[in-house]
Amino acid sequence: MLFNSINFLIFFPVVVAIYFLLPHRIRWLWLLGMSCVFYMAFVPVYIFILGFTIVIDYFAGILIEKFTGKPRKLMLLVSLCANIGVLAVFKYYNFITENINQIFSSFRYPNEIPLLDMLLPIGLSFHTFQAMSYIIEVYRGNQNAEKHFGIYALYVMFFPQLVAGPIERPQNLLPQFKEKKYFEADNVLSGLQQMLWGFFKKVVIADRLALYVDSVFINHTEYGALNLSIAALFFTLQIYADFSGYSDIALGTARILGFNLMVNFDRPLISKSITEFWRRWHISLSSWFNDYLFQPLMISTRNWAMAGAGFSLLFTFFLAGLWHGAGWTFIIYGIIHGSALTYEFYTRKWRKRWSKKINASVYNSVSILLTFCFVSMALIFFRAPSVEIAFEIIVQIFHSTKAIIFSWQVGSGELTFNAFSWLVIIISLPILFIAEKYMDVKTFHPANFKNCNVYFGILLLTLILTCGIFNQTSFIYFQF
Amino acid sequence: MEKTEILASMNKIWRDELDNEAITITESSTANDIEEWDSLSNIQLVVATEKLFKIRFNSAEIAQFKNVGEMIDCIKAKIG
Repeated sequence: MLFNSINFLIFFPVVVAIYFLLPHRIRWLWLLGMSCVFYMAFVPVYIFILGFTIVIDYFAGILIEKFTGKPRKLMLLVSLCANIGVLAVFKYYNFITENINQIFSSFRYPNEIPLLDMLLPIGLSFHTFQAMSYIIEVYRGNQNAEKHFGIYALYVMFFPQLVAGPIERPQNLLPQFKEKKYFEADNVLSGLQQMLWGFFKKVVIADRLALYVDSVFINHTEYGALNLSIAALFFTLQIYADFSGYSDIALGTARILGFNLMVNFDRPLISKSITEFWRRWHISLSSWFNDYLFQPLMISTRNWAMAGAGFSLLFTFFLAGLWHGAGWTFIIYGIIHGSALTYEFYTRKWRKRWSKKINASVYNSVSILLTFCFVSMALIFFRAPSVEIAFEIIVQIFHSTKAIIFSWQVGSGELTFNAFSWLVIIISLPILFIAEKYMDVKTFHPANFKNCNVYFGILLLTLILTCGIFNQTSFIYFQF
Repeated sequence: MEKTEILASMNKIWRDELDNEAITITESSTANDIEEWDSLSNIQLVVATEKLFKIRFNSAEIAQFKNVGEMIDCIKAKIG
């Protein structure tokens, strides 16, 4: 079920109303049942995949806690293999097979390994990573194994964050299912406000920018350097509005029910470096990779002198790229970021000294601009259908023979990005940046609620109803 | 070696590695208290500490340190 669908508009109030009417001891069952309904609105049969990993991880968690030594390690491996195995089969099998077949055919080997014909289970990369976080934390002794099967299943399936995160940690989420929740006006108001803010980002900004971005990326050879550059910059804004908008709706939804999910975005587009960008962008994923992959790699390669950090960064970001999707475009996206972080790591002292010689506001402004442009360049690989096309677009931006050709209006038919679209974007982008700079829209905590007064809510609602695009476009990150 | 001596030596490492002479660490200091001390520079601090005291932490020890004080206790136990 999509957050931006009529179904959800009916589903959610019903879930909330009955949740608070039920006695505390059976509320978990209601939330679990409704999470199943939410998930099964996509492809019902895939619930069995979730069930398979939930059962394995539930028992693995208990056994890890019980055992010591080798059996303990073995249970960790069994659980990790089950989770990574499910990912490998459903997400990466075809990609790996295609590449193997390509190698075979270059050696003129006649047989081909057959591909699987199936749809990627929605949210697979998110809930398997959340399940692995639980298992690793239990193994490290930071979390007790959950004995209540229903509560553990709910930890993996909690519908506000099931299909696109935030990828929660057991320490934050599991105890919340056991707390008694009360219907609190502050939570409901701030939750609704954050949902509204998320919908504004999604249907007013992201889906509007998508009209421009989609038109240009589909027919990239038709456009000159200026249109292509704008499309690349717009895609950065689009993906931010889309994904952070989703996160805002997820956090708001959970808060109305009385749950606090982790903050996933902290104004990443004003980062002054790529290192800072990854501290602010998709925080639940970057901190997952930091805690469970990057830090252990750094520790085990710490005696490789300076090479250890570079290797750890590149390897981590190679996998973080691959996490997004089974394709070379995502791998290159990851490696571009890994390389930038490596460069920043090795030059950090030099850059710090340099920054002291330059006027701070000039240095900061240039840093923000360069970081934004770099992120946009890397995102061309993320958005382009193939590596070849991504390179073509970049070459066209710098060496276009149509450099002067520019059209204000792009696309055709209903999907035209026209003068009205420009107006919507020119009005809504300043609202986005100014609101996120001065208001605590990051947390929307009840105590800060007076900042986001009712007039702001009315303004957002008006913009959503008059300028929003209601074609129920899926969120970009749902495909992962 | 006394805890205060270890702390003083570590303070010098922190200043050198993080390139900031204004840093003063205490036993309760954590990465949250010092801007330059992040997940990237963390290991550099560990390696420099290992070198100075001629000791070696194992992976589990490094992962478990909650603050400077716990690191000092571990160093003290190793150098005797």
